[in-house]
Amino acid sequence: MPSKEQFLTDIRSDNVEQRFAAWRSAAEMEANIIPDLGKIAATASSPGVAKAAREAMQTLVNSLGKEPSPKRAEAVRELLALASGHAPVPLRGLAFRLLSLIAGEDSVPAIAKWLTHAELGEEAAFCLERIPGASAIQALTAAYRNVNDSFKPRILAALGHRRAAEAAPICVEAMRSPNRDIALAAAKAYARIGKKSAVAVRWPDPAPLPEWQKLEHADSLLRFADAQREEGNHAEAMRLYKQMLTRPEPHLQCAAVIGIARIGTGEAAAAIFPMLQSKNRRVRITAEKAWNGMARSAAAKA
Amino acid sequence: MSSRRKFLQTGVSAGVFLFDIVPARALGLQSQPAPSDTINLGHIGIGGRGRQFLRPEASLGQKIPAPLNLGGDGTRMQTAARSVALCDIDAQRLDEAATRVGGRPKTYRDFRRLLEDKDVDAVVIGSPDHWHALMTIMACQAGKDVYVEKPACNTIEEGRAMVNTAGRYGSVVQIGSQGRSQPAAYHAASYIRNGQLGRVSQVLCWHYASPQGDWTPDAEPPSGLDYDMWVGPARWLPYNARRTHGAFRWMIDFGGGQIRDRGAHVMSIANWIMDCDHTGPVSIDASGDPPSDGMYDSAVTMRVVYEFKNPDWTLVWAQPGEPSAEIEARYGAVYHGDKGRLTVTLGDGQNTATDQKVKDYRAPIDGVPVYRSPGHIEDFLDCIKTRAKPIMHMEAGHRVASLCILGNLSFQLRRKLEWDPVAERFKNDEEANRLLSRPGRGPWHL
Repeated sequence: MPSKEQFLTDIRSDNVEQRFAAWRSAAEMEANIIPDLGKIAATASSPGVAKAAREAMQTLVNSLGKEPSPKRAEAVRELLALASGHAPVPLRGLAFRLLSLIAGEDSVPAIAKWLTHAELGEEAAFCLERIPGASAIQALTAAYRNVNDSFKPRILAALGHRRAAEAAPICVEAMRSPNRDIALAAAKAYARIGKKSAVAVRWPDPAPLPEWQKLEHADSLLRFADAQREEGNHAEAMRLYKQMLTRPEPHLQCAAVIGIARIGTGEAAAAIFPMLQSKNRRVRITAEKAWNGMARSAAAKA
Repeated sequence: MSSRRKFLQTGVSAGVFLFDIVPARALGLQSQPAPSDTINLGHIGIGGRGRQFLRPEASLGQKIPAPLNLGGDGTRMQTAARSVALCDIDAQRLDEAATRVGGRPKTYRDFRRLLEDKDVDAVVIGSPDHWHALMTIMACQAGKDVYVEKPACNTIEEGRAMVNTAGRYGSVVQIGSQGRSQPAAYHAASYIRNGQLGRVSQVLCWHYASPQGDWTPDAEPPSGLDYDMWVGPARWLPYNARRTHGAFRWMIDFGGGQIRDRGAHVMSIANWIMDCDHTGPVSIDASGDPPSDGMYDSAVTMRVVYEFKNPDWTLVWAQPGEPSAEIEARYGAVYHGDKGRLTVTLGDGQNTATDQKVKDYRAPIDGVPVYRSPGHIEDFLDCIKTRAKPIMHMEAGHRVASLCILGNLSFQLRRKLEWDPVAERFKNDEEANRLLSRPGRGPWHL
């Protein structure tokens, strides 16, 4: 292992190959090299030197990611300091990206406080979205109330992406927001989470939504129906699918037919049967396929 | 009350349903498409690759052979389709495409507006890689069928979400690895799947290295380019001409190097021939070098070894690798069986080649059947009408893109990765599992 000084000299070298050899061997260095690499990345006049410093940080972090270790914990501390310090925003953004790979639950509070930052909120959300465990979900849920309205959909998207069941109540609440973007983002998150709320859910009214958001609204209902079906809540799933069967859009009817067929009961067959005579070819073929699939399944069971 | 309704009620109340009594086709509900149907296409991303799919207004109603670079044997005429809507974030490209199409195609800068257009039956997506997944998913949500350029996705999570969404809506999705539609690939698949090479234990792909790149200063985006939309769900980087049109593929955030660009062709044919469209490797071990300098960050040289189980075989992607001794080509794959070896070159265009003896081979009547595509775009257009699965369907596209993604991840992490192809998770590697997804930016989320 080269000395810290030699390593940093190599990273700053004018010689491309010397820099390359240094950053490729960065895994051998201690984690306390990170602040120095951050300084080089922030101040180097040569883009090649700045790249070498960034790549060295990336290489070091990637070498620590497989499992927890004291060196990894130290790297996380150094990266948190870099992310929270006075470095240029792009470099702090890189620190958040690297933290997203190795930071654990104990780092969540230090990361979450940046969710309200105008320039780094996006990177903090990205980072929390990737950190496993309940702490990140709790932090995102708590932050929902503190961030600007314009950033609330981003927080809801993160919670939906995490399929965070504990975030379902806040989604149900946000679905009632008079802000259409928030209400729809909440519906999308709630559908992705897919857990039926104990309190009454009022899905946003699609009527005043622009065309694109109407499609997202319908997709959310279908996703939620699919999730309910997979949870074994066939009654709720069937109710939503039947609602979709009455829509004029052929692809929504198709999605309902496909979902209903997967329920596979007599009631499901009865719901699909009329669609075999649909005037729309896509719907008709989808219904035929669904019907035949149910028939094969019934025959196999018999 | 009609007897049918009575039957339905009886069946439902009894908790059983006698499907065989009322099969759909017995009701005379044949769903064969009318041959005269014209399919209305919308095009999203009409730069270098995307413009090759445009169907000029003047071609409608004419008998034009399907383009050979998209496969087929040259006998098929183009299916009736016309380009009715165009979308690009670059105003200049949009204008050029509209001129090329002729007539009065509708033009859009925001792809969501094109997806809202009820005149559009299907979309052709030729955007950079980092947009493939979201655009495909959103197109399915809008009721469109989708032809999307390869590779299908940038992360494993994206690919699975695409599969799930296409499945939810019953959408027809064709991924643009057109090598499968090449006659040479068909013949090789038939030959190998019918045991003519014996048990195939190794597929060795070769390709040349990726470019090293240079330094070009960041700049203001040109007027007419909606750069924020270009970046979309990816990490924000300042505009740089050497990272956008055409050159995006050398950046991991937007593309991912030769293994994604050409690997998605060569390994698509390999996955198809080896009948692995539904599964993946159990381990991935990559080595090689990234660019020592310059803006790019995808591998310059690279060797990835994929191990498959049940059946056991090894796939190797090498840039550069050992070229075929039999057929000269810039890239391709050699299939090694216990009865011999076979080369299939290229995989993305009309020059895909294999041995003459393979082309002459005819499978026995009771042999393993292999689907023969009439050409990649024609196969897609046929499937829109029949609702059948195209040759490079969504699951296949996801599995091929997975090979590219897994290779790049092992390369980035510089360690061998153990992969569960059913759960689609790594074994014992927390960081690698975090890299299965890439949270989106701003309003762009799966």
